[in-house]
Amino acid sequence: MNFLLTVFSRTGRNFLLTWPSQLLNLLTISLSVLIFSFFFLAYTNMINAGKQLGDDLRLVAYLDEEPSPALQEEYRRKILKFDDVEKIVFVGRKQAYARFKKELGTDRDVLTDIPENFLPPSVEVYPRRSLNSLTRIKRFSDYLMTLPGVLKVQYGREWIERFYSFVRLMRIVVILSGALLILTSTFMVARTIRLTLLSRQRELELLRLCGASSAYIRMPYFLEGALQGLVGAGLGLAALSVLFNWIKLQFSGSSLFAFFPFTFFPLPVIAVILALSTLFCAGGSFSSTRKILQV
Amino acid sequence: MQEYINDAMVELIKVHKFYPPDVKALKDVSLTVNRGELLFLTGLSGAGKTSLLRLLCRIEHPNRGLVEIDGMDIGKLSAKKMQLLRRRIGIVYQEFKLLPAQTVFRNIALPMEICGRQKSFIRRQIHELLERLGLEEKIKTRTGDLSQGEQQRVAIARALCNKPDLILADEPTGNLDTDNSQRVMDLFNERREQGATILIATHDARIYGLGRHRVVVLADGHIIGAGIKRDPSQKNDEGRA
Repeated sequence: MNFLLTVFSRTGRNFLLTWPSQLLNLLTISLSVLIFSFFFLAYTNMINAGKQLGDDLRLVAYLDEEPSPALQEEYRRKILKFDDVEKIVFVGRKQAYARFKKELGTDRDVLTDIPENFLPPSVEVYPRRSLNSLTRIKRFSDYLMTLPGVLKVQYGREWIERFYSFVRLMRIVVILSGALLILTSTFMVARTIRLTLLSRQRELELLRLCGASSAYIRMPYFLEGALQGLVGAGLGLAALSVLFNWIKLQFSGSSLFAFFPFTFFPLPVIAVILALSTLFCAGGSFSSTRKILQV
Repeated sequence: MQEYINDAMVELIKVHKFYPPDVKALKDVSLTVNRGELLFLTGLSGAGKTSLLRLLCRIEHPNRGLVEIDGMDIGKLSAKKMQLLRRRIGIVYQEFKLLPAQTVFRNIALPMEICGRQKSFIRRQIHELLERLGLEEKIKTRTGDLSQGEQQRVAIARALCNKPDLILADEPTGNLDTDNSQRVMDLFNERREQGATILIATHDARIYGLGRHRVVVLADGHIIGAGIKRDPSQKNDEGRA
């Protein structure tokens, strides 16, 4: 208990004595977390938006004639061979006519003189709403065209494909900004603690001569790194929250926000970001004290 | 005077210490300081007093010979055991080694915090020592703002606060007037009476001239003389040089 109190009080004193560099560090970590979490937030919201778009997403392969149960099984096998899908639905001529009639609603009179089998039969393929499946939708469409008896393939809105390509790009940006966060927090904290240690050689020597253990000497610096990570990430997320709410306020009432309910990170994600930042900064501090103190 | 127990707390056996390029700080020095003894190391500047104390703190290692504290060869002690041993040693450095940005209280509290002492013990010890050394009003002052003499007394308080078994003091009264030197010596004597072994390197004749204790004279890295200094206040004591 005494040890912990001493460690905390030494950490506090260290913060007070070296506050300018601590402030600079906090700023750097906050900015890194802000950049990373901004892209991550955009990415997660895009994925959510994609899920909504995906509700309408299906590939329709029009066939030249009604497939027999054996042919249906053959189609099913070939489709699943290309990619795992959510479901495959075969729509016969009569079923297509019934659907069309229903969609016309009060205008169904236009179908009075038209035979019930005028619409072609089709296979409806609902792809899985995973990023990989959705970004390959064009290739999926091309593949369906190669199946025997397929006249034409149509799929939702083509811009969905481009949208998912963009989401894929976002994923790369998130990974890169995450790497930037790790590098910045680890190296900045390591560098600052290293400078602190070098400037406090006299104190460290005295601690050793008074019989201080390695843990006693290193713990305050370790704690300092961890606190920088935690507070820095907290500030970064707070800044993001402010930014997010400001953007939301600016675009409130716009059709975009009505269609896609953009949301901030849920608490578990916030906790993970805080924990990771704390971990990386503590790691930077740990490596620095190990190098300098050689204990 | 209270007789010390006749077993060695500090022992140097045929110790040599050289500094590059060709400074021979200690040559074939053998010395035993018994448990509960107060011993003065004296000699001119450069005689080797500080080098000897630095070997005892393991700030430096001897080039040859053996340095033992409490029966342990400190050259062979593991880092962990050395940490524990250092907690039993109070050191007054010639250059004080205070932390100038920290207060008198924090400087003195340091060794006690390392040993995990209770806050109440730390406060009591610090207040008692500062009162004895005439520094009680400076408790919240940063040591960088103190005079040399005040800094020296803070360094002494830091060395004594943890009630160490062994006290090593390098010129502890070098910056003190007669009154303050006497206060410091009273404290050292009190600690010795409580069982501490004390080794003081000094060329201040005012302090080793008082009381009955052994004085070892170093010159040019050699021990050139040793004897028990007679207490002038006790005329019947036999002194030997």
